[in-house]
Amino acid sequence: MNNAFLPIALACAVALVSAVGVILARRPVHAVVALLAHSLCVAALFLIMAADLVALGQVLIYSGAIVVLFLFVVALLPHGGIESVVPTGRVVSAVVAGAALLAALAAGLAVGAPTAPENPAGGVEAIGRSLFGPLIVPFELTAALLLVAIIGAVAIWRRQEPEPGAKASSRAASEGSLAHTADAPGATGRQRLLDEGGPAR
Amino acid sequence: MALAPIGLQHFLVLGTILFCIGMYGALSRSNAVGVLLSIELMLNAVNVIMVAFAKFIDTPQELAGQVFAIFIMTVAAAEAAVGLAIVISVYRLRHSIQVDDIDLLKN
Repeated sequence: MNNAFLPIALACAVALVSAVGVILARRPVHAVVALLAHSLCVAALFLIMAADLVALGQVLIYSGAIVVLFLFVVALLPHGGIESVVPTGRVVSAVVAGAALLAALAAGLAVGAPTAPENPAGGVEAIGRSLFGPLIVPFELTAALLLVAIIGAVAIWRRQEPEPGAKASSRAASEGSLAHTADAPGATGRQRLLDEGGPAR
Repeated sequence: MALAPIGLQHFLVLGTILFCIGMYGALSRSNAVGVLLSIELMLNAVNVIMVAFAKFIDTPQELAGQVFAIFIMTVAAAEAAVGLAIVISVYRLRHSIQVDDIDLLKN
């Protein structure tokens, strides 16, 4: 594994830099692009560690699905949902919490990691055997989790229609807010798209 | 190469640092999307550590770490979908996604 020193160091360095970029970027678009770079570097690390299937999943699910989902949301939000000024107290407490966690974990690591021989087993075949063997129940439960997540996301995202017998006032209020949005100068289709789903206030 | 061979320890250190960066972001970002991004960073860091353990430690349950990483990825995808739907929903209600403005359950 020693001959792979340079790729590992490069992937680790880019992963660290892009992780810092994710948390420091003012514009969410930049943060999302940094997350894309980060997840690709992590996928490279997985490949180096001979975890082919996990690397593939990282590229497909993280870089392909999750980052694109984030990009869609950032594109929907006006001004990309730009970051406001964070109060200093919160930054200080976050630094303290992060540093404390780092110190605690470093103390645990200082004891030394176990030095076992590298795991010779590997490959998609072994993962498949354990997914469809002893881990079949959690694997099947994953399907239920994804289904519930899809239904939940659609139900939350969906435009909330007023009840058929709802009070006319609430419907009028909803239509008024719609008309207001449509008439407002500079109202973009994006804002309309967001506002149309607004609940009857 | 004069440096020490790359082993489990290095990946654990990397994963730890990434997790702490993610936690700092989750605590300090004022933007709900930024908080979700930081949570993704933390989940990724845990995945790095899981895969490193699967690579460097010979367990009777072979490759448990890699399988666990796949499960974490699935949960991360579900979490991102629901979390972003909530962000959009809150934006419709409040016209803001700053976490300070999301206090609907207060009082």
